[in-house]
Amino acid sequence: MTTTDSDASGTAVEEAITSTDPVTLSKVWGMGGMTAVLVGLVAGLLVSLERLDLEGAGIFGSGDELFQFWSAHRVALVLLGVLPILVALGTTIVPRQCGANTLLFPRAAALACWTWLIGAGMTVVGFLVDGGLGTPDGGGQRQATALTLMGLLLVIGGLMVATMCILSTILSGRAAGMGLGDIPYLSWTTLIAGTIWLGMLPVLAANAVLAYVDLRGRPAVRFGAEDAIWEQLSWVFTHPAIYLLALPVLGIALDVISSATGSEPANRGVLLVATAAFGFLSFGAYAQSFFDTPGTPIMEETIYVLAAFAIVPVAFVVLGGVLDLLRRGGSDLGSKPPASVVLSLIAILLIVAGTVLGALRVVAPWDLLETSVTGAHFTLVVGAAVIGAVAGLNHWGEDLLGSPGFPGLMLLGGLAASLGVVLISAADVVSGFLGQADFTGVDLATAGYPDSGTGALNAVSTVGAAAFLVAGLIWMVAGIRHLAVDSAGAG
Amino acid sequence: MADMTPTAPTRPRSLVVASAFGTGAVLAYFGGLFGIYFSIRADAMAWGTQWFPEGAIELAPGGMNMATMAVSAITMGWAVHSVLKDDRVHAYLALALTAVMGIAMVNQTAFYIADIGLPIDTSQATTLMFVIVGSHLVMVSVGVLWLGLLLLRALGGQDTSRHRDLVSAAALYWYAVNAIYAVIWVGIYIAK
Repeated sequence: MTTTDSDASGTAVEEAITSTDPVTLSKVWGMGGMTAVLVGLVAGLLVSLERLDLEGAGIFGSGDELFQFWSAHRVALVLLGVLPILVALGTTIVPRQCGANTLLFPRAAALACWTWLIGAGMTVVGFLVDGGLGTPDGGGQRQATALTLMGLLLVIGGLMVATMCILSTILSGRAAGMGLGDIPYLSWTTLIAGTIWLGMLPVLAANAVLAYVDLRGRPAVRFGAEDAIWEQLSWVFTHPAIYLLALPVLGIALDVISSATGSEPANRGVLLVATAAFGFLSFGAYAQSFFDTPGTPIMEETIYVLAAFAIVPVAFVVLGGVLDLLRRGGSDLGSKPPASVVLSLIAILLIVAGTVLGALRVVAPWDLLETSVTGAHFTLVVGAAVIGAVAGLNHWGEDLLGSPGFPGLMLLGGLAASLGVVLISAADVVSGFLGQADFTGVDLATAGYPDSGTGALNAVSTVGAAAFLVAGLIWMVAGIRHLAVDSAGAG
Repeated sequence: MADMTPTAPTRPRSLVVASAFGTGAVLAYFGGLFGIYFSIRADAMAWGTQWFPEGAIELAPGGMNMATMAVSAITMGWAVHSVLKDDRVHAYLALALTAVMGIAMVNQTAFYIADIGLPIDTSQATTLMFVIVGSHLVMVSVGVLWLGLLLLRALGGQDTSRHRDLVSAAALYWYAVNAIYAVIWVGIYIAK
């Protein structure tokens, strides 16, 4: 039985749309995700440029417009970018790792893929037509905001159904005799991360539905108010939920380096437990500051602070596993290690740095929660996730497209991205300590009256955003060329 | 002659596993809504603010719906049992009765919501109530459609003890529908 329902007489577009072949679906997820990453990076660069002048609106007409791009940057990178790229790997690579014949429920997987793509399109259009996920001063178009929310719901629905297919394949479709403790690290971390996603994404959907219902047709009671929507949804873009993006990257790094060095980690059981703990510490649906009641705010509650600190040693355990692999098999890598190994190692280091910064961020006396340290934390973790996901695409590129691709371009892009992530996060951390707000707006009052030194730091951050964008463009070129080679080979 | 009885699958059944993930996601969705509802309600109560307008929420309709759902949980169990025993007649009856209970529940809720005439934008409480109850109605409707599909399969002779996964998966979902309504009943209709 084939899993591809393609009609030999159909056009290439018809075949792509009607295909239930996991490789085809992975191409859509992967290219769609990379395109969204690019969109997110463009939005991030524009916001950075605007931040160079905190006393006036130079690029955007108002603080509301800036906010739309600022929030689009985060939405595009997380829900439209990194998660879909990880789903791309899960759709094709995970079933093969588990010895499954194919992805279970391929039609549902195809439905999920196209639902996500349509939803992603609606979300981007919603942001571009003065909608987005609310604005601080209520200056957006309500219908466009509703469109964005509807797009977001489709995106969440698509991601959830795709995750269900992947998880079912791991649990029910893996080869006979292969225990869950035996599956490769990418599959294991995808299983943990997917399970937590299925616990968090529906809560995000509940927030979005509540805002949508309240927004439509009449003055909003509370949840659909323009200045309230983002705050209800923002928990998914910060600690601890943001770490869940990094979890499969840990699996990618362990698999990639293990494969390249030809050695297995000595402490596999410890790594499995550590990655599972990383996943459970990333559950963040409870951390909704919008619904704070009188008393201690959720971001100062014990569970929130404890999770921020507890995840640091867990990340170091995984780093220890990676270093152990390199110690025992690093000599096999030679003077020019594969691009995927370099990128994986960078991703792991950035994740560890992200967890340390996440712990520093919640130290109450420093009062950093609303400052640009939060943005730096987001950049470190999401940047690591993007670089790690690209490492995975490079490592398994041949499985996905039948040819090894362009590792040189991938590495070049990865190095540019690493430089960008480091510059952005380093500058934003210092700016945060100087009092600069996470969302600076277009006036000093919104920016938190930061010290004068933030001007130079914001310039450094802008250079970092430009480097990250260049990396995205290089990866896109590499991806398109890889697809072209694949198409030519198929032809 | 060799024993031709098929061996038991070594892996969990994929349909049931996928359904468990789907049902878990639905539970998480309602968990999010309930968390918001009870958090804001507790805050309102602490400040002595009125939550629902006096007399707006009555106990009887919610109780009737709970009873309907409870009976439907029993008939769903009956359906699973009948399919396991290859008892087609009882499977028809049980699946049809469960679907009818679901339709009755939707009907009762729709009537009640229309009857109380409480605008959705009266307060945060009404907005939340309509979102929670409305989402549950969608969940019940999906369950009824699923039961209709099962009934068609049963009529075609496909719901047998060897192909019982879809029935088991639907039962898992339906029990979650019941569990969620129990929280709605206690949290909204009784506690008001």
